Amino acid sequence: MGDPIAIGAFLAFLLGTYVVGSWIEHRHYRTIRQREQRWRRLPVVTFRQVPAGWRVEDSGLVTGNVVISVDYFKRVLAGLRALVGGPVKSYELLLDRARREALLRLKQEAMQGGFHAVINVRLETSRLANARGGEGVAGVEVLAFGTGLKLSQPPA
Amino acid sequence: MSFDPSLPRDGVNVSRTHPLREAALLIAIVAAAGALCVVVIATAVDWLVPKLPPGLEARLFASAWPAAVGRDADDAEEATRAAAAQQVLQRLARHWSDNPYALRLGVMREDQPNAFALPGGSVVLTSGLLERVESENELAFVLGHELGHFHHRDHLRGLGRGLAFALVMAGLGAGGAAADVAALGGQLAQRGFDRDQERAADRFALELLAAEYGHVAGVTQFFGRLPAPDGAVEEALTGYLATHPLHEQRVEALQALAEQRGWPTTGALRPVAE
Amino acid sequence: MILSNTETIPGKTITRFFGVVSGSTVRAKHIGRDIMAGLKNIVGGELKGYTELLQEARAEAMARMVQEAESLGANAVVNVRFSTSSVTQGAAELFAYGTAVEVR
Repeated sequence: MGDPIAIGAFLAFLLGTYVVGSWIEHRHYRTIRQREQRWRRLPVVTFRQVPAGWRVEDSGLVTGNVVISVDYFKRVLAGLRALVGGPVKSYELLLDRARREALLRLKQEAMQGGFHAVINVRLETSRLANARGGEGVAGVEVLAFGTGLKLSQPPA
Repeated sequence: MSFDPSLPRDGVNVSRTHPLREAALLIAIVAAAGALCVVVIATAVDWLVPKLPPGLEARLFASAWPAAVGRDADDAEEATRAAAAQQVLQRLARHWSDNPYALRLGVMREDQPNAFALPGGSVVLTSGLLERVESENELAFVLGHELGHFHHRDHLRGLGRGLAFALVMAGLGAGGAAADVAALGGQLAQRGFDRDQERAADRFALELLAAEYGHVAGVTQFFGRLPAPDGAVEEALTGYLATHPLHEQRVEALQALAEQRGWPTTGALRPVAE
Repeated sequence: MILSNTETIPGKTITRFFGVVSGSTVRAKHIGRDIMAGLKNIVGGELKGYTELLQEARAEAMARMVQEAESLGANAVVNVRFSTSSVTQGAAELFAYGTAVEVR
């Protein structure tokens, strides 16, 4: 890419993916915050045992998963960061979104199953390799799973 | 044990740097590193090149004669032109007293006017260039320019730099856009070197021209007839990005040199041998 | 802030609990370190550059988790877990999470 036209086109494409990517990200964050607010009364904890005093009627596995990818602009940013070193900020947003979304879907599944709380929650992150098998990522998958509890008296 | 449904503070796990700012910073750093890479390599190559004896170079690159060259000799007109150019080349080379190369000349089928100096002493002209040349003096300037590259051994420098840079990029394992950014920085640095070489080759060509014909006429007209380097848009956008200095700048520099050395810029032009 | 990977803090009782708190960070070493590690990889042994990288990143992830817990008014995080994932080539992601609680 030597000539200014190719560089200009590349920069324009980069900026375009930045604008569109940021817009999608912004929209996603808005729904994440809304749902977190709405569903915050359902406890999701990492306790391995049922807290003392809870009377469990029923339990079952609940999961929530999501695959999200970053826009091209952020991928380029991460590629440059890998050369220079330091915090890869563009991927922090991706992982933050993915985790919160996975936890929300776990909560949603728990509510649909009639559970009042989820204990022993674990989060697994895995990277989906690019179809071309090379650099970058197609996306990350976050899986949240835990045990849903039906209680005779839901926690206050 | 009671449950508190409050939500933790938002945005703890996210850095607050603006992505565009980070992008600008990273692109600058990586491009600068690429440029630095080229400067280091170029310095090393410049140090190494004079140490390679021309005789060894000729032997090493004896087979470096592109397959595409000289295969179209069935075109009689072109063959005569090539033979005439060969003669001009030999006559010019006589004024370069310590020429260590056994010079060869070939013609390549290509409409874009261009000329190359290849390692081992081979000059390749495109058919497009031969068609555009209107006097022997113009042709002599082009050939002299390529001889200038041989004299300064720029053909080896370019080759060495390109090779070394490619090796460095491959060694880093950089792929995708990040590699492009580093390569871009490298190219920008490279162009500074390239343009210095072109200017030096221009000066060498003018000297040979003055020695052969007693004047340096024909050069200015020739540049006027060439298309702008790599498209007019590039020329309009920026002078720095062009590999060869812009035509006007080259002509100005050549005229200044002619004036300084007292070479007449007008004189009888010899026609190209038909 | 008390951090523990057990269910409870010995000698204390949990009076209040919040939800999951987490901290994460993604970090890369500069290309020079990657090349050195690549060479070291041939003979084996500790890759000091990467040990350092992961240590720093883990500390940062924990600090962020603590920040989240503090924002809730918690004074301990129990059942803390760590996970490491590689989101992109040459970068490591450190993730720490646990349940924010108030102990007495």
